[in-house]
Amino acid sequence: MAADLSAQMISSVKDAYASGQSLVISGQGSKGAWLPDPEMSAGGTLDVTGHSGIQAYQPEELVITARAGTSLEEINAVLAAEGQMLACDPPRFQPTQTDGVVGDNASGTLGGVVATGLSGPGRPWSGAVRDAILGVELVNGKGEYLKFGGQVMKNVAGYDVSRLQAGAWGNLGVLASISIRVHPTWQDQCTLIFQLSAEQAQQKCLLLAQQNLPLQGTCWHDGVLSLRLGGHASGVAGAKLALSGEVMQGGTDLEFWANLRDHKADFFQQELFPQTLGIKKIWRLVVPSAAPLPGNWLSADDLLIEWGGGLRWLRHDDDAAVVAYVKSVGGWCWAKGEQMPIDVVQARYMNELKRAFDPKNIFLSPMVLNQSLHSNQQPNLQERQQHAD
Amino acid sequence: MNPITKNHTAVLQHLQRTLPAECLITDGAGLRPYETDGLTAIREMPWVVVLPETEAQVVDVMAICRQHGVPVIPRGAGTGLSGGARPHKDGVVLGLSKMNKILSIDPDNRVAQVQPGVRNLAISNAAKPHGLYYAPDPSSQIACSIGGNVAENAGGVHCLKYGLTVHNVLGVRVLTSDGDVMEIGGALYDNPGLDMLALLCGSEGMLGIVTQVTVALLPEPEKKSVILAGFKQVTDAGNAVASIIGAGIIPAGMEMMDKLAVQAAEQFAHAGYPLDAAAILIIELDGAEAELSAVTAQVIDHLNASGAYQIDQADDAETQARLWKGRKSAFPAVGRLSPDYICMDGTIPRHQLAHVLTQIDELSERFGLAVANVFHAADGNLHPLILFDANVPGQTDHAMAMGGEILQCCVAAGGTVTGEHGIGVEKLDTMCVQFTSDELDQFFRIKDAMDPSGVLNPGKGIPTLTRCGELGGMHVHKGRLPFPELERF
Repeated sequence: MAADLSAQMISSVKDAYASGQSLVISGQGSKGAWLPDPEMSAGGTLDVTGHSGIQAYQPEELVITARAGTSLEEINAVLAAEGQMLACDPPRFQPTQTDGVVGDNASGTLGGVVATGLSGPGRPWSGAVRDAILGVELVNGKGEYLKFGGQVMKNVAGYDVSRLQAGAWGNLGVLASISIRVHPTWQDQCTLIFQLSAEQAQQKCLLLAQQNLPLQGTCWHDGVLSLRLGGHASGVAGAKLALSGEVMQGGTDLEFWANLRDHKADFFQQELFPQTLGIKKIWRLVVPSAAPLPGNWLSADDLLIEWGGGLRWLRHDDDAAVVAYVKSVGGWCWAKGEQMPIDVVQARYMNELKRAFDPKNIFLSPMVLNQSLHSNQQPNLQERQQHAD
Repeated sequence: MNPITKNHTAVLQHLQRTLPAECLITDGAGLRPYETDGLTAIREMPWVVVLPETEAQVVDVMAICRQHGVPVIPRGAGTGLSGGARPHKDGVVLGLSKMNKILSIDPDNRVAQVQPGVRNLAISNAAKPHGLYYAPDPSSQIACSIGGNVAENAGGVHCLKYGLTVHNVLGVRVLTSDGDVMEIGGALYDNPGLDMLALLCGSEGMLGIVTQVTVALLPEPEKKSVILAGFKQVTDAGNAVASIIGAGIIPAGMEMMDKLAVQAAEQFAHAGYPLDAAAILIIELDGAEAELSAVTAQVIDHLNASGAYQIDQADDAETQARLWKGRKSAFPAVGRLSPDYICMDGTIPRHQLAHVLTQIDELSERFGLAVANVFHAADGNLHPLILFDANVPGQTDHAMAMGGEILQCCVAAGGTVTGEHGIGVEKLDTMCVQFTSDELDQFFRIKDAMDPSGVLNPGKGIPTLTRCGELGGMHVHKGRLPFPELERF
């Protein structure tokens, strides 16, 4: 139901600011499994799901503005009716209850999409969540209602506070309204599959990335490379002909990419792979696309590669091995459910930025900025510099 | 120019002890080119310019300035159009033009690692042997540097499809005023923590000094098609833009020019534009050969249906270049019509185009000054060029005042005061219209977080609340700043 609860949000934050209580901002909880729950000492939850509704949408402007609590489901339906979509194709995870049980069919809010900044399989070709953001309205930690950016594609007035919200996990304020860029849906799409080793698949992806192809996703797992083509029908037909792979059955392919995006694919079902020593961690590795693949310390079953090589999912319990690997290839890694590693110096500036928005530190975010626990996961700057030279 | 205060002398001696002589400019003739950027009417003669050759030297300069408490004014190629690189009477101009090496072109990861002084076009030239290029193409791309592009979040004519600088920069090394060097991002699609890379893009040198940039490279389009369409009504041209985008077509570029701009450009460039058109559109489509002919035909259908009375299609590079030449020379062409002009940079939602152009017509009549409109129609970025004569007493202020009202119209239509040129010193007053005091205050706290000593490019980008107050709350008086002829195309 559409409702403007901004006045209540402002007053909740002002109360917290006055009393020094903490607030945990929550949406539908669909991404709750990605970071540890914040430790609640005192304070409450600021549920923004009621603050919802589409505020402006003109398809030919390629932008939609909606309150942060608007469900992704509603946004997607409204866009689809006009032949459009969110280009960043954000994942629609299912909420996990505190007891670990998968919740209802809720798939997240627009505010949650922005706050977590997680992009779908098309990220290298269609951009990240942050790339699509044009403007935000937010309540900062002092209870001030602020507007940044707007609904236009080009805007360099003031610092880019809007894009800074993507992936901030609520550290900087409560998102109230978001203007996000949309894209025409593909006129046609298909998925080609190739039986290839990981190395062969990587080489193929690197080669294809240098050509004019309507690539919208790549996925390698278990000896199969799947390539998603999407765009103008003539372009998809041309690429299909040129690439001559086996065509995944129509309909099956939509489900395949949706399951990959939403982590419903078997690979991500931790409980399906109980090991003698417990359930393996799921690692998200962001690395240069051409970076060497993990060696034989990792079983091939435990590797899934997206984004033309730039995103690699690993199932593994040896933190040191994963960290050493990612360090050697100049990327970063994040174990699902644990803190993200943030470079110590960068974390210091991020903390200052948080203080600039939230001087009394009332927003308790699951993404902790002042942790130095995992700083060793960041590749050594000196080494990277020498590598670059 | 010699140092004029005791502090200047101390700073200069410190710089001289630390840097090789060839990295320092202190003589009047040498300093002269640095007194302004592309916004040439705003000038301030610097007393020292430093041109470091390495990141270590940049770190040294920053440390010296911080120690002496003098401002640092970062500068790229000096092509900026809003006075962002204007020197400060107490400050040191830090030019990054000598750091102009392309460190690597990595075709597998499709990135280039470059120093900040590398020219925008030089990146594409270096990537060309691999069939790759760097997409953002501000019209100054032959001269402007990538460091400056990052500072201004530079755009160009292909933004709707390929994005701005922020969408095409994957990593930076940045030096803070406290002396920390951070390496943010790289050949990576995302990074942990707050997105400081997005924050740095367009921060006009007020948050940090970029010492290295990693940019994304794209495969060069297999083929391009350029279409010219003439319309008898500006609204028809606007409707054609909406109809093409509404049909799910994202052209590489889509430019609109109104009658005065067309006539000026045609006289200058002989591009073959229809002189009787109320507006023309120039549309560029690019991509795989397989789909280009189908999409081109679709676009032509939309143009016909929207009432285009003349449509020319160019598939060969030579004709395409001719059709683009008129648009690309629109600024100097308009410059020939009038002794002076100022270029505004508002952005509006596309559907507001006819409304805003009508308002501009009314303002033009009220102020008695002609306006030529050049419009990045694909992304809503409007460049009204106000013609005036600076030799007529009061007319500069008059044109300035009119420009301010145009920008207020853009904000009222749901747009912004600057799409791609930046605030610098030129548009400080208009920021008071677009942002509330709470929002401006938030900007200052961001600045304090990144630059606690406040030495980085002070007085740019964000107006002080006092300044907005003096301007009379939300109403902006113009004419406080001298306004210039913009010597750029």
